[in-house]
Amino acid sequence: MNNLLKQVFRSSRFTIGFVIFIIMFITIIFYPLFVRDDPLAMIGGLFNKPGTYISVSDVLNTDYIDLKIDTSAAKLKSISIEDRQSMADWLVKFGNIKKSEININDIAALVKLWNENYSAAAAQTGLLYAEKQQYIRLNNQINKLINSGDQYIATKDDNGQLVEKDPVSPRAFVNSKDIINKKTFVLGTDNFGRDVLTELVAATGTSLKIGLVAGTIATFIGLLLGLLAGYVGGTLDDFILFITNLFTVIPSFILLVLISFSVGQSARGVMLTASIIGLTSWPWTARSVRSQVISLRNRDHVNLSKLSGHSLHKIIFTDILPYVASYVVMAFILQISSGILSEAQLSMLGLGPATTKVSTLGLMMNWAMQYKAPIAGAWWAFLPVILAITLISFSLNLMNTGLDQVFNPQLRD
Amino acid sequence: MGKIILKVNNLNTKYITRQRENIFAVNDVSLEIEEGKSLGIAGESGCGKSTLALSLMGYYFAPLHYISGDIIIDGKNISGMKPDDVRKQILGNEIAYIPQSAMNALNPTQKIISLIEDVIHAHNPKAAKKDIYDLAKERFELLGLPSEVLQKHPVELSGGMKQRTVIAISTILSPKVLIADEPSSALDVTSQKMVIKMLKSLMQKGLIKSMIFITHELPLLYNVTDDIMVMYAGQIVEKGTAREMVFDPMHPYSKGLMGSIIVPEAGSKNRKLIAIPGTPPNLKHPPEGCRFAERCRYVKPECKMNGVPLKKFGEGRMYRCICSIEELKEAYGDE
Amino acid sequence: MKGYKKYYTKKIIWYVITLVIAVILNFLLPRLMPGDPVSAIAARTAVGMTSQTAIQKVYEDYVKAFGIDKPIYVQFFNYITNALKGNFGVSFIYYPRTVSDILARSIWWTVCLQLPAIIVGWLLGNILGAVAAYIKGAWDKAVLPVFLFLSNMPAFGMAIILQFFFAVYLKWFPASLGYGYDMIPNLSLKFIGSIIYHYQLPFWSIVLITIGGQAIGMRSMSIYELNADYVKYSRFLGIKDRKIVKYVFRNAMLPQITGLALSLGTMVGGALVAEMIFSYPGLGTTLLSAITGRDYPVISACTLIITIMVLIANLIVEILYGFIDPRIKAAQQE
Repeated sequence: MNNLLKQVFRSSRFTIGFVIFIIMFITIIFYPLFVRDDPLAMIGGLFNKPGTYISVSDVLNTDYIDLKIDTSAAKLKSISIEDRQSMADWLVKFGNIKKSEININDIAALVKLWNENYSAAAAQTGLLYAEKQQYIRLNNQINKLINSGDQYIATKDDNGQLVEKDPVSPRAFVNSKDIINKKTFVLGTDNFGRDVLTELVAATGTSLKIGLVAGTIATFIGLLLGLLAGYVGGTLDDFILFITNLFTVIPSFILLVLISFSVGQSARGVMLTASIIGLTSWPWTARSVRSQVISLRNRDHVNLSKLSGHSLHKIIFTDILPYVASYVVMAFILQISSGILSEAQLSMLGLGPATTKVSTLGLMMNWAMQYKAPIAGAWWAFLPVILAITLISFSLNLMNTGLDQVFNPQLRD
Repeated sequence: MGKIILKVNNLNTKYITRQRENIFAVNDVSLEIEEGKSLGIAGESGCGKSTLALSLMGYYFAPLHYISGDIIIDGKNISGMKPDDVRKQILGNEIAYIPQSAMNALNPTQKIISLIEDVIHAHNPKAAKKDIYDLAKERFELLGLPSEVLQKHPVELSGGMKQRTVIAISTILSPKVLIADEPSSALDVTSQKMVIKMLKSLMQKGLIKSMIFITHELPLLYNVTDDIMVMYAGQIVEKGTAREMVFDPMHPYSKGLMGSIIVPEAGSKNRKLIAIPGTPPNLKHPPEGCRFAERCRYVKPECKMNGVPLKKFGEGRMYRCICSIEELKEAYGDE
Repeated sequence: MKGYKKYYTKKIIWYVITLVIAVILNFLLPRLMPGDPVSAIAARTAVGMTSQTAIQKVYEDYVKAFGIDKPIYVQFFNYITNALKGNFGVSFIYYPRTVSDILARSIWWTVCLQLPAIIVGWLLGNILGAVAAYIKGAWDKAVLPVFLFLSNMPAFGMAIILQFFFAVYLKWFPASLGYGYDMIPNLSLKFIGSIIYHYQLPFWSIVLITIGGQAIGMRSMSIYELNADYVKYSRFLGIKDRKIVKYVFRNAMLPQITGLALSLGTMVGGALVAEMIFSYPGLGTTLLSAITGRDYPVISACTLIITIMVLIANLIVEILYGFIDPRIKAAQQE
């Protein structure tokens, strides 16, 4: 046993897969111990960007320090290339500036030229109304950015009158450590304003559970049918083989859709979804177990057992199972990853677990797609989920090929 | 004395494993075969006899690597030739190979005739298909194989038929030397007999000029070949005529090897069957001295000191032992 | 030829039986569920409908479509006769369009997208896998993990990433639909151009997903074949390495063809979800909107048609395989 483990871990593929999987597993277990928030609490808004959100009120009530930093220059850099280009176009067309004098990479100079020349009232022949309006908006935006005057904050006094507090200079800074109320969304928020990272960790856990349940069911059915077909043979074998072939050819995806839809939304919980997936994905395991058992059936040790009058279950448990164990483990690993994938696909069709109590990777994807996250540019709502699914499946498959190399040395290249 | 067809001088080859270790599987092998003669090579599994067969082809690919030595076929040294020239001019034309197991030696998705076409085209790209078919048909019939085999796929042939087909394909270009690596070990007795008969008739009909036959079954060699060479741990330990080697082996290892078999000759019933204890040395780190020393019953302290050269005695016989013939005879006489 | 005939007759009979069972499953599964599924489905469909006449209409449609009051074998008989006539009833959400009308359009989009994509992906994957096995060394070591990673990415994941990167971020290709939203299908160059333009992302996402798995399979098959005895023997016969490599890849390819037949169902499932991502006007999108709209007649017809398509594709692959692998013919003649 020890020797076998050593051999297995000598395969670099298995080890890499195992390490990735264990890291994910540890994260699922320990992350909730450190971040005790409810993973489904809706604390943010629709697709908030990743980052730290600081309470504005806290900022105002914290003591400022003036830093000698030109804050407006940094802000000007946020003007996009497209806007800079259209500024340059306007200046060339209506501001009588030569093209050679304009460098859109030097934003300070460009803004200076803009302020000297731009006038909303200028005759802008050839521009549509909408385009004129756009330039006015752009101008306002620029003015807002370069406004270096003090800003005032007012509070209401006892009489309900607004009272100005001290002016806030553009160079006023507060130390972020002094701010008590802040929230970091490492991966932003989803469409419901839930913290994607916390949700993702919880969802990965649920999906893994689905994979495990589906994999266990599929492996159990597949193993049972494969053993029966391979060992008993005859008509039973023909029959099981026929059923197995049938369900390999009929797309399991279609069966999943049909069953999930028919079961109905109210009944479709996480465990039921997992069971349905397990019930439709056993043919692969049955197939490979059967062919293994057939090759074992006439080995000497099995014949010896038969001649010694051992009972069927004793032969199966002591003479057959140990020899197919490696294949069963490999098939189980693959079943877990395909179960996770099936759940995701089902959920994307809206046939996943109908629950609001837990999240799964598939449901996260489904919501992200329903709220058009890719079109909205909210990459944080779907990329981490895809990555999580891929990584789980990648690590499990690496382990599988690693085991394959150990048990089928012919593939060792 | 006939013309020498194959001469090998001090051939050394090695395997390089995936762990980049060297295994020196063929060590300083020299041999000669005259026209019309056959040589048997015997030894335990893993003694390097199959590797020797591969090495004699003069065409090396991973994991087997050439180190040094000459292979001279009919006066032509092929060791210095470019691999592609060896492939085009030597393989099949001058020297041919029959693999250990014919079961998987043929490409399963190709008809036999198509493989023969590929073989002939590899040496003569301009050969017409019609001519190739005629040649193949004629040759198959000459060797007693039905010509229908040509149109079949390997799966459609029985084991014995497959092996005979392989022999016919290997010798289709009438090579001067045929190297047969345990061509009959995997077959049943009847098929074995047919294969041996076929090999003998190849020699008789002059389709091949000489043959090296490799096997671990000594009685077979006694019946098939003129001379026998015994290999141990990558080296030749003794060489002589088949009769001499079976009835009068000199080297302690040959003695043990012959002692462990039953020769179907009068008087053999009274012989004792003796197994040789121990296992051959690891060829990653071959021992300094005599390679058989660890297992030898007559070992002396000086055996493990230095390498032992091959010594000649009698009429063209050779052996590799520090003891003189007299000492050995005396030792064996005790029994 | 005799061997072939036997092989093909056997195969065709098997597929016909499979088809029959698939049809039965398609009919039976929704009816086997606990409770009164038909009324449940009808009730669910009616949720949110305010007009009494519309609800009435839904119930009537269901009664007609399912023949609820009749025994199950009569229902099945009706179902089969209707299916054979291509009559799958009327869609609920696109009322009064018939289901066959809706599907007749989307089928072609799906076939024209998935068939070429899977074939191209399969071919590219096999070539890359064979090359990786042949070259070995650093290239193989670098490329293999990429293939492995690719093959483990779900099809919809690849679709979304391509959509986000090439359509939303780089704006090189449109993010969704099968042709420009402002266009009416016709045979003009502009329309065909628009179709090709919209085709790229869905096509390449299916191709990329297919490549990964195929390349890995081909690589290990090729390594296995490269170590086969016939390779060594052929070398000693003086046959050129290039020719031997041809033998090897041909032989390694054969299990890949059977593998394709076996995994076609899974592939099509993934590709359908990829279609949905791009709102491509094929069966995937139709299925999604049917599921969202609880449009049972469309769902049932969709699943049936997809199954039939996969079965036909499988049969074609197996027929081709019989021609390519001589062992099939030999096995039949024994």
